[in-house]
Amino acid sequence: MTAVQDPPVAVPVAAPDVRDDVGVGVPRGRWFAALLRGRGLVGTVFVGVVVLAGLLAPVLAPYSPLQQIPGANLLPPDAAHWLGTDEVNRDVLSRVLYGTRVDLLVLVTAVPLGAVTGSLVGLLSSLSTASDVVAQRVFDILLAFPVLILGIALAAVAGPGLTTVILVIALAEIPIYGRLLRGAALRVREMPYVEAATVVGAGRWWVLRRHVLPNAIEPVGVQVTVSLAVAVFVEGAMSFIGIGIRPPDPSLGSIIADSVTALDANPGLALGPLAVVTALVLGFLLMAQALAAGRRT
Amino acid sequence: MSANVLTIRDLRVSFPGIAAVAGVDLAVRRGEVVALVGESGSGKTMIARSVLGLLPESATATGSVELAGTEVVGAGEAELDALRGTRAAMVFQEPQTALNPVRTVGWQLAEALRAHGVRSRRAARERAAELLELVGIPEPRRRLRYYPHQLSGGQKQRVVIALALSGEPDLLLADEPTTALDVTVQAQILALLADLRDRLGVAVLLVTHNMGVVAELADRVVVLHHGRIVERRAVSELFARPATDYTRDLLASVPRLAEGGVPAPRREDTGEAVLELAEVSVVYPGKRGRPALRAVHGVSLAVRPGEVVGLVGESGSGKTTVGRAAVGLVPVSAGRVRLGGRDLAALSRAELRAARRGLAMVHQDPAAALDPRFTVGESIAEPLLIHGAAVGTRVADLLTAVRLPEAYADRRPGELSGGQRQRVALARALALAPRLVIADEPTSALDVSVQADVLDLFDELRRELGFGCLFISHDLGVVDRVADRVAVLRDGELLELGSPGEVFTAPRHDYTRALLEAVPRVPVRA
Repeated sequence: MTAVQDPPVAVPVAAPDVRDDVGVGVPRGRWFAALLRGRGLVGTVFVGVVVLAGLLAPVLAPYSPLQQIPGANLLPPDAAHWLGTDEVNRDVLSRVLYGTRVDLLVLVTAVPLGAVTGSLVGLLSSLSTASDVVAQRVFDILLAFPVLILGIALAAVAGPGLTTVILVIALAEIPIYGRLLRGAALRVREMPYVEAATVVGAGRWWVLRRHVLPNAIEPVGVQVTVSLAVAVFVEGAMSFIGIGIRPPDPSLGSIIADSVTALDANPGLALGPLAVVTALVLGFLLMAQALAAGRRT
Repeated sequence: MSANVLTIRDLRVSFPGIAAVAGVDLAVRRGEVVALVGESGSGKTMIARSVLGLLPESATATGSVELAGTEVVGAGEAELDALRGTRAAMVFQEPQTALNPVRTVGWQLAEALRAHGVRSRRAARERAAELLELVGIPEPRRRLRYYPHQLSGGQKQRVVIALALSGEPDLLLADEPTTALDVTVQAQILALLADLRDRLGVAVLLVTHNMGVVAELADRVVVLHHGRIVERRAVSELFARPATDYTRDLLASVPRLAEGGVPAPRREDTGEAVLELAEVSVVYPGKRGRPALRAVHGVSLAVRPGEVVGLVGESGSGKTTVGRAAVGLVPVSAGRVRLGGRDLAALSRAELRAARRGLAMVHQDPAAALDPRFTVGESIAEPLLIHGAAVGTRVADLLTAVRLPEAYADRRPGELSGGQRQRVALARALALAPRLVIADEPTSALDVSVQADVLDLFDELRRELGFGCLFISHDLGVVDRVADRVAVLRDGELLELGSPGEVFTAPRHDYTRALLEAVPRVPVRA
């Protein structure tokens, strides 16, 4: 144990001196490596399975999601119908697979829409005090409404449907990304390297594009995974209360809503969509945690 | 038991893959000040931390550290707790962060005292006041109700020392106790530590990179290099006859003030000023009813091509503000700033950007001076790209100019040492062949030997490229070494302006004299 040979002596670069903890620079392109190990991997697998199921729905689904099967009313799960059938004789597994597809469509449009818009507003508004104040107050107002209340209000004006769901989710995300980017802008702007660039003649645009944006990309990455989890929930909730995807189109929320009255006849009606929602939310949150932890180390 | 307060035998501290401390023997006797000196990464902080079992979790320690007869290496938390504060206590570098900002000084002292077994609240308060008096804080009873922000930096460090003394330790571990302080305050704190040693008989293990501090306070010196002891001597002997080359280099790289010697010949004034400040004042408007802060008042000075003007003063004297106002980062409230003959206030935003082509700035903190996401090459090329200049082989040329291998262009700041990063910052500053460089404490975050290298390089480049420079520093030795003229600032006002020979050998102002006297001196070898 104590027969230690002299290990190679410390070189100054990797010195364990506490005051020298400047290793902020994570090597570029490696920040998503956290998704391929530990809890990040679990999250990736959960999400990956659901995404595959959604993408391959036309191949995997034994029936059309709208097809009414004669004589198959509220059947419990069996070999022919893995999740049973609903009260208008449709195969629940097929509806869940297609519902997942719609859900994913909402995710990949609404979240990037909100993230990009919010980020741009946050960045641009940080350029002048006046626009900053206006943007911040607008964000305050948006954040003051719970997402579902916002959804109900918007559905009342624009009518329920896919577009409304996407709009609500995007709108709810805008202030979050706006604040995130504004925070990054304010922080990075004070850094000596920005001052050094300003003194040689860099303008405000230069600083935003070359310094603020790259330094905000990582927190935005973490936030995107959190937003995806929230979006799954919002889409489900809106369809559940009937202001989301319109029947007869399948959606996870509306299938759960249908199950409420028929749970005793066919528990598969609720289990299927709940499993998908759980896998997605849990998966995205695990990914977010892994990314955030990866940023810290 | 021996008279040794602390005995370290064959201490080895290693992190996965590297050894930070590779076999150190060391003893500290009662009432003795032992200085551990070395550059960053030499393991001096790790030795001090291992005494209280405060090593980072990834570190493994072997060997023996005996503190007042108790073995610390391998001791459990409960045993360590019994030692911490009562046998040895730590004085940290940064008084700002060592104190809790939301609690009063009295509360923090009382808490420490109660942890050491003082039962009653009244007794703790009494003792807290005594401790403040002991460390030389006037009106101790009133100060007990003060919050840290109401105290000056020096007073805060005194409170930190009082906290360390609360458990009546035999040994104080002082890790760079004065590095964050101004020279005049530093002199007071050093005097306090010496006084405490004489009156209370506490031993001090002083960790520092400042040879001047060592000369002032220590009885014995232990020089560390790469985790090993290269030399251990009494202070007077070490400075008189350093035994190893490493120590000799370390001593030689300390910039000193010319002490009464003949001032070196300085350059003649040539040409039109690249920077001219005329009666410049900067006032930060008061917020929420607080009075406006006058940071700079009526400062006039000029920097001619190829000339280095040193700007010295304590923290809060406005020297950084002068530098920032000179390049238009801070608006001036009165007076005029002329850059290359053009009035900054009269320029539009676009004109200002174009005018800044001939400017560059070098910052203090090499860790923050480079965007962590940029490679070294990208950082150096940035000024060229801003002005649409061709990059070509310029990055490689600049790296060569600052004596770094060209291959470093692909590295990121996190992979470089502090000195290397500061060279990169210098290369970036020189990318557009500036006429004026504002250097704000460019070497104060560096080790002395690295600092000496960077200053040499700076001097060479200045001679080659002929840029004018406003060199801001609190280190009079550094300024004496690089500057052609020195300006002394206090409370935003310019007190003196003259050649270093005049200012440093025959100061006209009392304040300058006080500043000079406070500088801890390294004895000059015969």
